[in-house]
Amino acid sequence: MRVLTLIVDFVDRRLGVRELFDKELRGYLLPRNVNVWYTLGAVLLALFGLQILTGILLLIHYVPHADQAFASVQRITNEVPFGWLVRLLHAVGANVIVIALLLHMLSVLFMASYKGRREFTWLSGFGLFNLAMALCLTGYLLPWSQLSFWATTVATEAPGAIPVVGDLAREFLRGGATVGGQTLGRFFALHVVALPLALLGLIGLHLFCVKRRGISPPPFGSDYRSQELPAAFVHEEHRGGIPFFPNYVVKDAAVICFFLALLLGIVFFAPNLFFPPAAFEPADPFVTPPRIKPEWYFLWAYQTLKIFPSELIGLGVQGAFMTLLALLPFLDRGPERRPAKRPIFVTVFFLGLLVFVAISVWGHYS
Amino acid sequence: MNGRLRSLLPLLAGVLLAATPALALAPPETVCIQCHGGQAGPLGDPAREWPGSVHQRNGISCHDCHGGDPADYANAMSPARGFIGVPAHDRVPEFCGRCHVGVLEDYRQSAHGRKVSEGGAQCVVCHGSHAVREASLDLINERDCSRCHDYGRAAEIRAALDETDARLAGLGEGFERLRRLGADVEPAKGKLFDLRNRFHRVFHSVEVDKVRAETGRVQAEAALLQAEIDAYDRQTARRRVWGGVAVGLLVMLGLVLLQVRHTYADEERRG
Repeated sequence: MRVLTLIVDFVDRRLGVRELFDKELRGYLLPRNVNVWYTLGAVLLALFGLQILTGILLLIHYVPHADQAFASVQRITNEVPFGWLVRLLHAVGANVIVIALLLHMLSVLFMASYKGRREFTWLSGFGLFNLAMALCLTGYLLPWSQLSFWATTVATEAPGAIPVVGDLAREFLRGGATVGGQTLGRFFALHVVALPLALLGLIGLHLFCVKRRGISPPPFGSDYRSQELPAAFVHEEHRGGIPFFPNYVVKDAAVICFFLALLLGIVFFAPNLFFPPAAFEPADPFVTPPRIKPEWYFLWAYQTLKIFPSELIGLGVQGAFMTLLALLPFLDRGPERRPAKRPIFVTVFFLGLLVFVAISVWGHYS
Repeated sequence: MNGRLRSLLPLLAGVLLAATPALALAPPETVCIQCHGGQAGPLGDPAREWPGSVHQRNGISCHDCHGGDPADYANAMSPARGFIGVPAHDRVPEFCGRCHVGVLEDYRQSAHGRKVSEGGAQCVVCHGSHAVREASLDLINERDCSRCHDYGRAAEIRAALDETDARLAGLGEGFERLRRLGADVEPAKGKLFDLRNRFHRVFHSVEVDKVRAETGRVQAEAALLQAEIDAYDRQTARRRVWGGVAVGLLVMLGLVLLQVRHTYADEERRG
C-alpha cells in the first residue's frame, strides 16, 4: 500500500492527478434521482474492454486465410490453454453487447435523454451502435464456418439491390463477385483495425459529449423541471447531486458484475445458445446449408427484405427507419420529456418495439 | 430543420441504406432439379424423392451419380460429359460401387450379389434409388426382406447386429453433441465413420458367423471412442463447476456493491 502511495505521489507531483481525480470523478455530480439505466454506459465500456482483450488474445492464434481460418479457430478452441474460454467470451460477449446497446438506446429513447441540445451525444451513440453492428458482421465471417460464409453471402448480397451502384457496392464489400478469401482479408482488416479504431474514437467523442453538455436527468419524480432550449451552450450541472465516485461507481460496478455473470452463465451453461449447427462446419461454397439465418439482431432486417415485393423497397424502408432514428433529436424538439405526458411517442415506442420483436420472431421461423 | 441539414439527408440516407444488412439468398439449383422438378410422373419422381435423402444431406447431387453437366441444359445429359442414364438391374451394384467400394466387395461375395444377374436384390431394392435411406438396421425388416425370401436368417443377422448398431448410432449422436460445443471431433468422427462402414459392410455379406465375429471387433473399437466422449464430458462437467463458482461470485459481488450503494444513498439522504 505504501508503495502505491509513493507511486501516486510521484505521478501527482508531476501531473497533478489527485486534483484531476477530485475534480473529474469525486467532483463530478450526477442527478440525485439517477437510476439503474444510467449504468449501461459503464457496462458497455466494460464489455467493449473485454472484447478488445479477448480479441487480442484470439489474434495470437487466429490465421486470416480461407484455407486455415476454420482450423485455427478449432485449434484455439481445442488446443490452446483456455482458448475455448477466450473464444466464447469474445463470441458470446458480442451478443451481450448488442443486448446492452439495445437496452441503452431504448432507455435513452424512453426518457427522451436526447433532448436539450444533445444531438451530438445521440448521433455519436447511434454511430457507435452501427459500428458495433458492423463489428458483429465482420467478426461473423472470421471463423470461416458454413454459417459465417453463407450469412456473409446473404448480407453482402443486400447492397446489390441498390440501383446503378448496387453491383459495385456488392463487389466492393466482397472484394470480388463472390465471398471468398479476399472477403475474409478485408473483413479481418476492418474487424481488427479500422472498426475498433473508429469505435474507440467515437466512444471518446460520445463520452466527451455526455460530460461536456452534462448528464440528462431522469424525467421522473418531483425534481423534474421542463427545460426550454438554451440560446447558447450551457453545461447542465447538478448542484447537490451525488458524486460519480465513489457513490455511483459502485452501482456501475454492481451492474457490470451482473452482466458478466450473465455472460459467464451463457459461456458455461448454454455455450451454443447463439450458434446453430452450421457454425461448427467449415465453409463450403458449394453446399448451401438449409435454413441459414442471420444473427438474431439482424433478423428484423432479413425479414423486412422478404416482406416487401422488391428488395429495393425493403432496403428503402430499412434505410428510412434508420435515418429517422438518427435524426430523431432534430425532429422531436418539444421540451417535454416525461413519458406520461408524451402518449403518442410512448405508444409509437412500444408499438415499434413490438413490431421489432414480432418481425424478428417471424424471420427466425420463416 | 435547417437547409444545411436537409441537404445532408440524401447522403445520410444513402450511407444508412448501404449499411443495412441481410437478404434472403436462394441456394442455386442444378439444371437437373430445375427440369425434372417441373415434370409429372416417373420423370419428376427423382427430383421429388432426392430432398431429404442421405445423399442430399451429404451434398451428393444428381450429377455425382449420373454424370452430365449440372450447370448447362444443353449438356446436362451429354454422354460426352459422362452422363449415365438408368443402369440395368444387374449393373446397379457397379454403379453405386464407384463410391461405396468396400460394400461392393462384400456384396458381390454375398448370396444377394451372387444372384444379382438372376434378379437378386441389389442396392436400390433395399436402400431405394433416389430417396436413398441411410444404412441402418431398420433396412432389415420382415416387410422388406419377405418381399423376396423368408425373414428367418435376416432376423438372426439383425439380432446379432442390433446392440452394436445402437451403440454406433449413440456414438454418432455423442460426437455431434460435442461438435456443437466446439470440440474438434473430426478425427474421432473419421474413426467412427470407418468403423460404421466396416460394420455395415458386414450387413451385405448376409453371413451370421461373419457378422458375429466382426461385431466383437467393432464393439472393442467403439469402447475406445466412447472413452473419448466420456473424457470430454468429464472435462465439461469440471468447467461447469468452475463456471458456476465464477457466476456465483460475480452475483455475490454485485449484491455486495449494491449494498454499498445503499449505504451511500442513506448518507446522501441525511445530507
